[in-house]
Amino acid sequence: MSFRVGIDVGGTFTDFLVVDAAGEPHIFKTLSTPRDPSEGVFDGFRQMAAALGLGLRDLLAGVSVIVHGTTVTTNALLTGNGVKTGLITTRGFRDVLEMRRGVRDQIYNNRCSPPAPLVPRHLRLPATERVNYAGQAEVALAEADVRAAVAQLAEAGVAAVAISFLHSFQNPGHERQAAALVRELLPAAYLSVSAEVLPEVRFYERTSTTVLNAYVGPILSGYLASLARRLADSGFGGTLLIMQSNGGVVTPEVSVGKAVNTLLSGPAAGPSAGQFFCQSLGLQDLMTIDMGGTSFDVCLVKGGRAITTREGEVAGYRAATPMIDIHTIGAGGGSIAWIDSGGLLRVGPQSAGSDPGPACYGLGGVHPTVTDADTVLGYLNPVYFLGGHMPLHPDRAEEALGGLARRLHLSVPAVAAGIYDIVNASMAYAMQVVSVRRGYDPREFALVVAGGAGGLHAAALAEELEIPLVVVPSQASVFCAAGMLLTDFQHDFVRTHKTTLDGADWSAVQALFAELEAEALATLAREGVAANRVALERSLDLSYTGQFHEVELPCSTDQLTGDGAAALAAGFHAAHDRLFGYSEPDARIQVVNLRLVARGRVDRPGVRPRQAGGGGAVAPKGTRPVYFKAAGGHVETPIYDAAAFAAHQTITGPAVVEAATTAIVVPPGFAFAADAHENFLLYRQGESLAQIVQRLTGGVAVQA
Amino acid sequence: MNNHVDPITVSVIQARLDTITKEMGETMLRTSRGPIFHEARDFCTSVYDAECRLLAQTEYNPNLLGATRFAVRAIRDFYGDDVAEGDVFTINDPYHGNNHLNDHTVIRPVFFQGQLLFWAAARGHHADIGGAVPGHNPGATEIWQEGVRIPPVRLYRRGEMQRDLWNLILCNCRAPEITRGDLRSQVGATRVAERGLLALVQKYGAARFAAVRDEILNAAERRVRAALREIPSGTYHGQATLDHDGHNKEQPVTVRVKVTVGEDWIEYDYTGSDPQTAGFINSPYPNTYSATCISLFTVIDPDIPHNEGATRPIRVVAPEGTLLNPRFPGPVGICTVTTAEAMLEAGWKALAQAVPQLTSAGWTRWSAPVIMGIDHRTGHMFADILFLRKGGGGAICGYDGWGHIGTPICGGGLRDPDLEMHELENPFTLLEHEYRPESGGAGQWRGGLGVIYRWRMEAQAAVAVQFGDGHRTPPFGLMGGKDGVPNTARIYRAGGQVDEVDSKGVYHVFRGDVYEILSAGGGGWGDPHLRPAELVRADVRNGFISLAAARDDYGVVLDPATLAIDWEATRQRRGNHL
Repeated sequence: MSFRVGIDVGGTFTDFLVVDAAGEPHIFKTLSTPRDPSEGVFDGFRQMAAALGLGLRDLLAGVSVIVHGTTVTTNALLTGNGVKTGLITTRGFRDVLEMRRGVRDQIYNNRCSPPAPLVPRHLRLPATERVNYAGQAEVALAEADVRAAVAQLAEAGVAAVAISFLHSFQNPGHERQAAALVRELLPAAYLSVSAEVLPEVRFYERTSTTVLNAYVGPILSGYLASLARRLADSGFGGTLLIMQSNGGVVTPEVSVGKAVNTLLSGPAAGPSAGQFFCQSLGLQDLMTIDMGGTSFDVCLVKGGRAITTREGEVAGYRAATPMIDIHTIGAGGGSIAWIDSGGLLRVGPQSAGSDPGPACYGLGGVHPTVTDADTVLGYLNPVYFLGGHMPLHPDRAEEALGGLARRLHLSVPAVAAGIYDIVNASMAYAMQVVSVRRGYDPREFALVVAGGAGGLHAAALAEELEIPLVVVPSQASVFCAAGMLLTDFQHDFVRTHKTTLDGADWSAVQALFAELEAEALATLAREGVAANRVALERSLDLSYTGQFHEVELPCSTDQLTGDGAAALAAGFHAAHDRLFGYSEPDARIQVVNLRLVARGRVDRPGVRPRQAGGGGAVAPKGTRPVYFKAAGGHVETPIYDAAAFAAHQTITGPAVVEAATTAIVVPPGFAFAADAHENFLLYRQGESLAQIVQRLTGGVAVQA
Repeated sequence: MNNHVDPITVSVIQARLDTITKEMGETMLRTSRGPIFHEARDFCTSVYDAECRLLAQTEYNPNLLGATRFAVRAIRDFYGDDVAEGDVFTINDPYHGNNHLNDHTVIRPVFFQGQLLFWAAARGHHADIGGAVPGHNPGATEIWQEGVRIPPVRLYRRGEMQRDLWNLILCNCRAPEITRGDLRSQVGATRVAERGLLALVQKYGAARFAAVRDEILNAAERRVRAALREIPSGTYHGQATLDHDGHNKEQPVTVRVKVTVGEDWIEYDYTGSDPQTAGFINSPYPNTYSATCISLFTVIDPDIPHNEGATRPIRVVAPEGTLLNPRFPGPVGICTVTTAEAMLEAGWKALAQAVPQLTSAGWTRWSAPVIMGIDHRTGHMFADILFLRKGGGGAICGYDGWGHIGTPICGGGLRDPDLEMHELENPFTLLEHEYRPESGGAGQWRGGLGVIYRWRMEAQAAVAVQFGDGHRTPPFGLMGGKDGVPNTARIYRAGGQVDEVDSKGVYHVFRGDVYEILSAGGGGWGDPHLRPAELVRADVRNGFISLAAARDDYGVVLDPATLAIDWEATRQRRGNHL
């Protein structure tokens, strides 16, 4: 058992990172096969086996762990191809799902439609029952209603049933009773019960999450069952783990019950990858960005933990379970530039996609895109794009930008520079959303760059937000697949428990935490995680009495006492002031939810050292004209081969460094260095790299 | 295009200004005490330059969009040079520049290197501002009967809280804890804005920022002018009638507008509307101006930033002494909702003659109570506006109306409280909250559905002050679409008696009483016989319309058992429109 494999099934490519017994990484990419994603996965295994000189069975018999990020649930949701789903809910309240809390995002736009509900009204069926605000059952569950509903849903041919009753987060009795009936009467249906999926206050959010879970649950369970069978048939005897949206892994058995937690299964590995590649630098505070053809994803890692949110939406549908706070905007190489009715130049969100793609691909695209601008600016090498597999046509790019240039009375390079600046501004804005708007200062983070186009824009983004250090991992092209190999088991637990902080019954609070811990430990034990690998993190959702949104505050067990509460109060006041511009030291504080995150540590491969240099300077492989704003236009610029760099070798801008799947633009005023391991670094020329890293790590000096 | 400012920096700074107002809004959402802010988002955050020109805003409640600038100007005009760093002002009096008493406007001047550069404003709706009854007093005939009047005053002087003034304001409210918390939340929002604005001007410099600001405003102006060129020039008339003014209950009140579309400008002239009323539906000019802007902005390109530049091509004429520009001391309590709705409708009806395909049919009008009492479970006061009564949106060419979305003056910006939170915050047991079948007006595109909203009172007693309109006047259909079903409300007393609830009135509710609101459905757009039969069938299957309505309104005949379309019978009713 020697290989560990990370597999990220994306929209276009399926990425593989294989780490062998010696810790050596191997990268593979195959075309994704959306109809049956396991085809693409097995194509990759065959490619891998051939490259390693093994048979498929021998290879798979030698794989100890496969960590798998999958987009099957995401695609099912995006394309409306989840299963036919029924909802059984409290009588009198069956429209909560479609009402969406009465919100329309575009408040001035009368010419738009709401997203179609995942369960149409005729499959949302009522049962008489009622639990009151305090969790007391006031009206017994009418089992006859449930039976009638199940009969109707069976006739409609549903493959999944969601159950969501009012206040079940406090008293799940009626939901359990109904669930037992559904299991008995419709055993083949996938069952999703709100108090199990999300035992938390807010009926719409809980119902929506539960329905999402039902809608994609059978898709995930079908896919994983066939994958596991195929793997077993081919000799695989190791462990298969599934990447979840919360940035942790779980076993397939656990994953299937919480399918909603796989909606961001792929990109959620980004923060882990960022942490892995930055560990040799000692960096704990990272912003990871992934710039592809149509979208730009950004996440934050603070103190070695990815920031998560419970306010997520996927494709317009509300999922309230914790997920990595991935902010996505429609900006990428394919984003189209246009002029609005006020005469301002805009970029995106429309994209030329990959077919026909940017004009410079020469595949028939005519709209000016970001990639066309990058080509005109000289950032992309026309004969070395994708390692030379795809020639670019700079003349087509110039032609496409020409129309904009005429209307704006600007030169073609000036328009290209404008497009470059505007798309950077949009991306910088997205980076601010996850940093400044969450109360984090981007200047305290290192920027970790993934995706083919990331290296072209990274220095400009860092400059805009005054980020001191950019890290471009050499495995940037399979960034998330790499991240999957480094991801711990993770489970999130929550209980609503309302009390004032100064009047709390701490023994009751500790008892509740003990219950959560027991549940957490049991789950991890079922997954085979040894007790000495388990880490538990507790936190409280706190607010001032009378407020209805909470601030999550981490807490230690010794703070959960009458004496420890003062420290909690001080921490809450400070957080409130930081986030909202004021605090109220005279106001009472209340506890709303208890939260527990349980992690099970996995073994991680180490990072490889880079070959030491023989001293002396790196020689460029050539030059070409490249545009830099600071230089006032195109200047003859040295072009370097990324593979030529040995550890600690440094150059200064202007320069472009090219690798097979990416290029890194080094503007004037920036320095570029290869670190001792697998990364390339960008930072301001004249600054000391060691000092930058020391500042970012809060004083821990690490040899870069 | 202005050549000395680069268009790129303009885009970047415009985005940043938007973010700052969003951060302000986020602060109010997450820190406020009253469900009207944190669940319903009935507020608006905005930033202005030193000359009080609106630069950017986040309006969850669009009706505040054009009105807040008048309050900022009132502060500037009153204090002149007597404005210092760390000052925070408030105002709520409509006769000093605010819209109505309930919307406390909290305003902070922002200084950079000793120079006043910006104003940040957080305006939000407070459930109670004193006065004869909680909410809006339907019996008021003078402004003093509507609540405590606050002219321009200082909440903070150079960073120091003015405790005496806070005391004065809070002791004139019924729920001082909620009012205090929400005012603090508004002050916090302006502080968040100050941080953001200072970072921006530090980065770009005051001079460069000023040039960019001019271009931001000019670009929005150009976009509105471009949109107006697409509307055929001419003069168009529209009118809308309100049930009554709360005082003379048998007397309908009418808004009349003459809309003149020029080459790249537009004028809304309300001359000819009814005179000022005795009751609380009079609309001060800032509110009239704001509602008029929405009436236009919901017809043209919705993507245009609604800053000061965007409103330059709009002219609003409202003669003094009329409903839409009352003389002191006329009461104005519900102008921001009810009278604004009438202006919106009149404006839409006028523009529908020019650009029917861009114009919505009528939406539900608001009608629900402010409710206050002692929550027996906590011993504390509770105060809420019953936003769960949202009703149907009007249909428009190409799109059905949205269910449970309006009043149109909020456009879906206001958010329902969550049902569980609603019961945790108020001593109610919800009995029903579902779509109201058959409430949407028939049409090629159907009006959105209203709701059935019923709850039982669990506390000893509370006072419910219903405000709104549209119990007699239904949402209008357009281009052959039918009207929606109007609003209705009743109280089923624990003792068996049933009381009709009027759109404007004070009701006492006791333990065991059931309050029922049936909100209006939106109007339909286009001939119902042109609606695809499959969509009609789907509406029947989902219980949105009845079999009879499918047959009589839409001409689609279905088999009652299988819901299969009887094509022959349908053809007989519809002719060739299948």
